[in-house]
Amino acid sequence: MTFSIGNPINTALVLYIVYRVNSILFPSIKPPSTIPHDFRDGYSWMPKSHPPTMLYKTYTPKTLTPFNGMNGQRILLAINGIVFDVSRGRNFYGPEGMYANFAGRDASRGMAKQSFDEEMLTDIDQPLDKLEDLTPSEIENMNGWIDHFSSKYTVCGRLVNEGEVQ
Amino acid sequence: MPLSSYVATDDLTVLLGLSAAALFLLQNLYKPQPLVHPILLGRQSDVAPVRNPGESAVYRNYSTSAMGRLPLRPAAGVQTIIDLVRADIDSPRTLWSTKITNAQLLARVKAFASGLDNLSKFQAGESKVLFLLNDCLEFLIADIAFAAKSITTMTISSPELLAEVLDNYSPSAIITDSDFLSHIIEQVYDLNQHTHTTVIVVGDPGSVGVQLAKEMSLLKFTDVEKEGANNPTNLSPPTDVNHAFTIAFSKSPDGAGVQAVQFTQQNLTAGVASTRSLLPVSSPLTPLDTVVSSFSLSTPYGRTIAYTAVYEGTSFATLNSTRIFSGDGEVQLDAPGALKDINSSSAFPIPSPTILFVKPEHVISLTSSILNAARSGSWLSGWGWRHKTAHATEGFITKESLWDRLVFDAARVKVLGEGAGTLRALIATGGYTPADTLTPTRVVFSIPYVNAVSSDVVFGPIFASYPHDLQIHPSSEAGGAFENIAHVGAPTVSMEVKLVGVDDVTIEEGKDPAGEVYVRGPPAGTLLGSTNNPINGEHWLRTGYRGKAQPNGCFKVAPLKK
Repeated sequence: MTFSIGNPINTALVLYIVYRVNSILFPSIKPPSTIPHDFRDGYSWMPKSHPPTMLYKTYTPKTLTPFNGMNGQRILLAINGIVFDVSRGRNFYGPEGMYANFAGRDASRGMAKQSFDEEMLTDIDQPLDKLEDLTPSEIENMNGWIDHFSSKYTVCGRLVNEGEVQ
Repeated sequence: MPLSSYVATDDLTVLLGLSAAALFLLQNLYKPQPLVHPILLGRQSDVAPVRNPGESAVYRNYSTSAMGRLPLRPAAGVQTIIDLVRADIDSPRTLWSTKITNAQLLARVKAFASGLDNLSKFQAGESKVLFLLNDCLEFLIADIAFAAKSITTMTISSPELLAEVLDNYSPSAIITDSDFLSHIIEQVYDLNQHTHTTVIVVGDPGSVGVQLAKEMSLLKFTDVEKEGANNPTNLSPPTDVNHAFTIAFSKSPDGAGVQAVQFTQQNLTAGVASTRSLLPVSSPLTPLDTVVSSFSLSTPYGRTIAYTAVYEGTSFATLNSTRIFSGDGEVQLDAPGALKDINSSSAFPIPSPTILFVKPEHVISLTSSILNAARSGSWLSGWGWRHKTAHATEGFITKESLWDRLVFDAARVKVLGEGAGTLRALIATGGYTPADTLTPTRVVFSIPYVNAVSSDVVFGPIFASYPHDLQIHPSSEAGGAFENIAHVGAPTVSMEVKLVGVDDVTIEEGKDPAGEVYVRGPPAGTLLGSTNNPINGEHWLRTGYRGKAQPNGCFKVAPLKK
């Protein structure tokens, strides 16, 4: 048997072994220079950005109308003065959806009377539908829809008449 | 030379090749697993999707969102303060200097309550009792007894507030230590309230005290208990847990005088639920623990810690620095003072402490003492420090490693005494722990280390860092209010937090929201005497802190006034 460290392969292996032993016995404790933004890049990571939040806004019938998803915007609809962001339900409330009538409008009467007809919607220039002629069971139905929407979609604003915005 | 002579291999090559492969495998496969998967540390709060203009979104603890509602009590059926003294735990434990079981504690409470009935003229629902008592078992007994009899208790967080409270709130009774008695009698006579104020004294007032209090009704605590022990009443459960049972007075956050916060029994049970959740789920509080606290029972936070200890059946004691009602001034918590303060718990016959609820000053001074002891005690300390720190940067730390046996156990015993090995959790509350002490403290103690924040408007902590969180983030704001402050984690399980006064433009740009911290939730009390009208049915309380939210849901706080 011959042992010769002068052999290039042996030298390389010896150097590698010395390097490994050194990093086991004397591990590096230098913190990383940049903060990793993914958990796979390092233990002390930090997400790059905050979770997105939207502002609670006050809408009027005119300012609510543009949000009907036509140009890829958010889809909003209002029930009883509460504005919901229903962009996730684009299939229903988007331009080709079954309930597209409600997008960007006050859907209170339609929700109460369980109808998606055009007559349920009040014209934008008119003051908001006061819903005075609804029967108690219709009001209960509408409240049921409000609960459903509150759990499924985000409440992102309120709907008031023109001139009531503070 | 032919190529073959360069790549000639021999037996040594085989040997070296095998060793290299073995070392490679050793290093890559033997990496310690982090105590908590880092993916969980990236989302510690549940952030609401909507926010009001000028405010941040509402932040809650991530695990709370899974449950859907904020916990009101530590377990089902714990409705009132008496339920916190559990009937199913019957082993004795030491509270300050007294070894007592829950049954005996309740018996003493009943005796005190009926003694009160016989000897005094307290009216349920009308009387108010002011506690000027340093922490002791009698505080708890009296507190529970008064709550059971629907007599409002009042606590003040500092003796400076005494004059104003006596003046504006005229308590019908005061309960105090014999040391503080002469001081109080002076003030009561000054305000001309002596004819209708009863004073209950813990300890012996001595002939001087009796002389001074000649026109006042003076009762000794032990007499009241003895009187009631002959025919103890049954404690009828109070009818309304939402009725305020205590008022805590403290300094108002904007420095403008006294802040009075009213708490109900439900606030207390929610606070106990919050405090219990500070420890890891895998190692909760048990009757085998001993809790030592540096927060006075006259503050809401200290009181919650004490009731959590009572609820869990642990032994409990408080440090010297909690004695705010004594003739001496405040205990200074500089480096030697803090160390002495921690060791003051050995004056009580409690088992050696396992959980410490202390202030950042205590932690800083303990860490530096233990480090110095380690350096002077063993030549291996630098090497051990290096290894433990390297593990900590990967998220792993343990008290049972080789380096602890060689270096750090001895150092801890040198500083904390023989019982240092029993310490299993460290909770520093205050919010001003420096960020550069995080790694030293974690390495030197190698136990779950929690940074928490509380306020005088809530029972229990508002923010608490995750006990197995070992992340280190370099400080990014130089010169700001939050420079070199360790993060305090996410809101605790029962609290909702929002930041008010944030710059909307900054948030839209994606930067960290910073503003004043407001809280809401079951442990939060109600401010008295303010125009705290609810807005949209929401009651938010100022905590007296400015806060900044990080993208992973953790917060940094700094006190409001600079």
